[in-house]
Amino acid sequence: MKKNILILTLILFTGFVANAQVKKGDVLIKNATVLTITKGTLENTDVLVRDGKISRIGKNLKAPNGVQEIDATGKFVMPGIIDAHSHIALSAVNEGTSQVTAEVNMGDVIDPFDVSIYRALAGGVTSTHALHGSANVIGGESETLKLRYGTTNPEEMKFEDAPRTIKFALGENPTRGGRSRGIQPSSRMGVEAMLRNSFNDAVAYRAKWDAYKADKNPRKVAPEYDLRMETLVDILDGKVLVHCHSYRADEIYMLMKVFTDFGIKKLTYQHANEAYKVASELAEFGAGASVFADWWAYKLEVYWSTAYNATILTRNGVLTSINSDSGELIRHLFHEAAKTQKYGDLSDDEALSLITLNPAKQLGIDNRVGSIEVGKDADIAIFEGHPLSVYAIPVMTFVDGVKYFDRATDIDDQRIYINPEETVENISIFNRHDEDRCMEEGVVSFEALFSNKK
Amino acid sequence: MKLLLMKTIRAVFLMLLTVSTIGLNAQSDPTGESAVTRTFAITNATVIQAPGKELKGATVVIKNGLIDAVGTNVTVPKNAQLIDGKDLFVYAAFIDGLSNTGAKRPENMPRPNNLFSPDPPNDYAGITPERSLVDQLDIESNTIGSLRKEGFAISHSVPFGRMLPGSGSIILLGDKKHADDLVLSKDVSMFTQFAGAPGAYPGNVLGIMAKFRNLYRNAENDKKHFDSYAQNPSGLERPERDRVTEAFFPVVTKQRPVIFDVSGVLEVQRAIRLQKDLGFKLMVGNVKQAWDLGQTFKENGTNVFLSLDLPDAPKEAKGKDKDEMTEEAKRLEARKMDFYKKYAGQAASLANTGVKFGFSSLDVTSNKIKANLLTMIENGLSENDALAALTTNPAGILGIDKIAGTVEAGKIANIMISNAPYFTKDSQIKFMFVDGDKYDFEIKEKSAAGNGNRAAAAGNDPVVGSWTYNFETPQGATTGKMIIGKEGTEYTGKLTSNDGGPDNDMQEVSYVNGTLSFSFSIDAGGQSVELVVTGTVTGKQYDAEVSVSAFNFSTPLTATKDDGQ
Repeated sequence: MKKNILILTLILFTGFVANAQVKKGDVLIKNATVLTITKGTLENTDVLVRDGKISRIGKNLKAPNGVQEIDATGKFVMPGIIDAHSHIALSAVNEGTSQVTAEVNMGDVIDPFDVSIYRALAGGVTSTHALHGSANVIGGESETLKLRYGTTNPEEMKFEDAPRTIKFALGENPTRGGRSRGIQPSSRMGVEAMLRNSFNDAVAYRAKWDAYKADKNPRKVAPEYDLRMETLVDILDGKVLVHCHSYRADEIYMLMKVFTDFGIKKLTYQHANEAYKVASELAEFGAGASVFADWWAYKLEVYWSTAYNATILTRNGVLTSINSDSGELIRHLFHEAAKTQKYGDLSDDEALSLITLNPAKQLGIDNRVGSIEVGKDADIAIFEGHPLSVYAIPVMTFVDGVKYFDRATDIDDQRIYINPEETVENISIFNRHDEDRCMEEGVVSFEALFSNKK
Repeated sequence: MKLLLMKTIRAVFLMLLTVSTIGLNAQSDPTGESAVTRTFAITNATVIQAPGKELKGATVVIKNGLIDAVGTNVTVPKNAQLIDGKDLFVYAAFIDGLSNTGAKRPENMPRPNNLFSPDPPNDYAGITPERSLVDQLDIESNTIGSLRKEGFAISHSVPFGRMLPGSGSIILLGDKKHADDLVLSKDVSMFTQFAGAPGAYPGNVLGIMAKFRNLYRNAENDKKHFDSYAQNPSGLERPERDRVTEAFFPVVTKQRPVIFDVSGVLEVQRAIRLQKDLGFKLMVGNVKQAWDLGQTFKENGTNVFLSLDLPDAPKEAKGKDKDEMTEEAKRLEARKMDFYKKYAGQAASLANTGVKFGFSSLDVTSNKIKANLLTMIENGLSENDALAALTTNPAGILGIDKIAGTVEAGKIANIMISNAPYFTKDSQIKFMFVDGDKYDFEIKEKSAAGNGNRAAAAGNDPVVGSWTYNFETPQGATTGKMIIGKEGTEYTGKLTSNDGGPDNDMQEVSYVNGTLSFSFSIDAGGQSVELVVTGTVTGKQYDAEVSVSAFNFSTPLTATKDDGQ
């Protein structure tokens, strides 16, 4: 046993060492308009970053020896944008062969070479929530990333010590998968049944292992180990935050009932186009919502939508964020947030919170990022023009105080690995960004929707 | 006196019996192919006993399949067949760290009726770690001879399959009568690859990583259960037999390493991530992108077999083409060249980091092995490090360094003899000894004559030349050229694509009785997918079927031979 603890300590220590190798920067940003999100807007203010953390915010700060100074006169400094729903930087998105795959982990398939990471940085984004796709009722564990572009080590992309999260999905996507394979679920009722069955199995699994652990018999035999059940038990025990792909109000309400029955509290709905219909119920449950600003009508379940969704949710006290689910939208999430001012008159801080502090809270990383505060990670975006203006241009993006994007020194070819056998003529700026969405099969023909040939 | 007589009679009788037995043995080889003697002496040769250890004017004696003596002062046995080693260079034969040498690819298992995709039968899911390479070994396989021709005497060979095809064995690349005779060491590794089941769990790398963890953790528990039952079964629940979990037992007890086929830098790191989670002994093979991994390998003590395959060197534009290039195109071409150099130079950089790697022949066309080694040497790999990677390093990694890897007395007689220092452009292999058996190779006249032969062969050969192919894919038709050449008795070829995609090397090209077959790999979203093409050649027409086992999918390919061929 002692030996095991020693090994465990060694493993943890090695993990720590690996994390410690992540680059941390020092920088002094001078004379900016600082949009802190939590402490108002500070004019002509300096932000000092030491060893990757925001160490001072104030006026007339002096750069310590060797610390680079950036003149941000006339520019806006905001916390790095956080995208709570993304599939960039992943080698695979769905393990679609089974409808419950709680055992799979997006941390296994991080692709640090994806040029979409750089494009996101060029839109002021510093963190993404790399989710499993929506093919399964219970998909895999997701991974919260910091966009440290340039590393070749997937481990260095991980947001250290971010809470575990997992993807669930309701509605058309999982039922389409079920029907095409002739397996459960083929309807919304089947989705609910699968959820309840899975958690009932997990309760029984937990009981079996608890009994085993309590057993004093030295010759006791361990029950079968099941990684899928292990993860489900951790969800029941509140160790994993659930992010659930959903559209319709009825299915959103259904999941809250299921979670109430099983005592699961940590829940954020993704997409949630009809969440505005059950906004007060969400607030009462304490569930969050991560929505699009104005994207809908790509399939039947996404028809009844409104651009006022984010505002209605915010005004009802629901923790709300705006996400991209796309390698293209991720480049201008600040525009997406600004739409809530056109549709709903949110304040600047409220609108910016939708892409900074609120997604940070939904991912459980708001102690580290999401606002400009002393002690927080120096994940920072600098804009020319107010970020909520249509004229806003992101000019620099920092993660841990290290500059990963600078519009002034932006080079054309940002690829990290090159295939020496590829033909140069083939290079194009178009990155098939539709493949970065979990709804890639989302657009189906009208006929197909009502066809029985599935 | 009587007694003495009896004794004499008996002795004579026994002697007669012995003689007649010898006679019988001789008669059992009507082909006359068996060697006159298994004792050989290579005299007055330059012997490279081990990397950096060279003897001039030395003699190597081979007896009973072993290296009997090596040195400058060695007595040559009277019954030895002599090989005049003047101008010959004697090396330890090479050791291949990962391949399917000698294995016969089994038929793809058809999709079972009413397959429940989340939980398919293990054999359909590709989870068959209980299988062994030995069951797929085929003494007729031409891969044995073609790798031997390139100087290899030993392969760490693994079975074909999907996620967990079975265990690898170390085989001798000789001509043997029975598959078992090829086996030097059975079931030495558990082979794993990121190859999902077609339309069933685990379908891709996500499911495979999870499944591996699950199998491993269960095997750890089951092993404890089995052990305590073996100790005292009384009153203990009987452990259920399960061939998959039992195949993991030597892995969880760290007696048997896991070898991963991981060509890309991300796949390698995924294998290392699993190892860090679970703690098994790890080997990574067929590694093609390792230039950023030297430090990682060193810190983890990961055993590495680099791929002997290299990408084709980018062609430098000349004359008018160069003048017409935009500045951007020039920059992009320069980056391609930078990365070509990384591929070609990674062996050197790993060696400089202190990683003792070996090589894998898994994805290389065997007749490119030497050229690729010379390219690696041009890009900084020392000849000693190259030789170590072909001999002593893999012997160490595979745990056979007591019997293989150097030219030293007591080791198995696995020897390669070339007509010039091996790492020179014009050197050719003249003899191979595998397990003490001698194989002769014809030394070809170099350059002009060689080309002439090739051209003549091309003129007569029905498949050599340029073909225009048309290949139906779900994304539409793909067209391009299929260019087939012949070197000696082996076909080589590549596929070009009219849509600007990269060229693909044709692997395992064979043309027998009007049937032309080959395979090639394409990159499908980060996963290498192998396509197998088989069809018949009728005059200038080729009608074939392309099958993709990873997706259980097949589609037609047709080609027409270009005029003027």
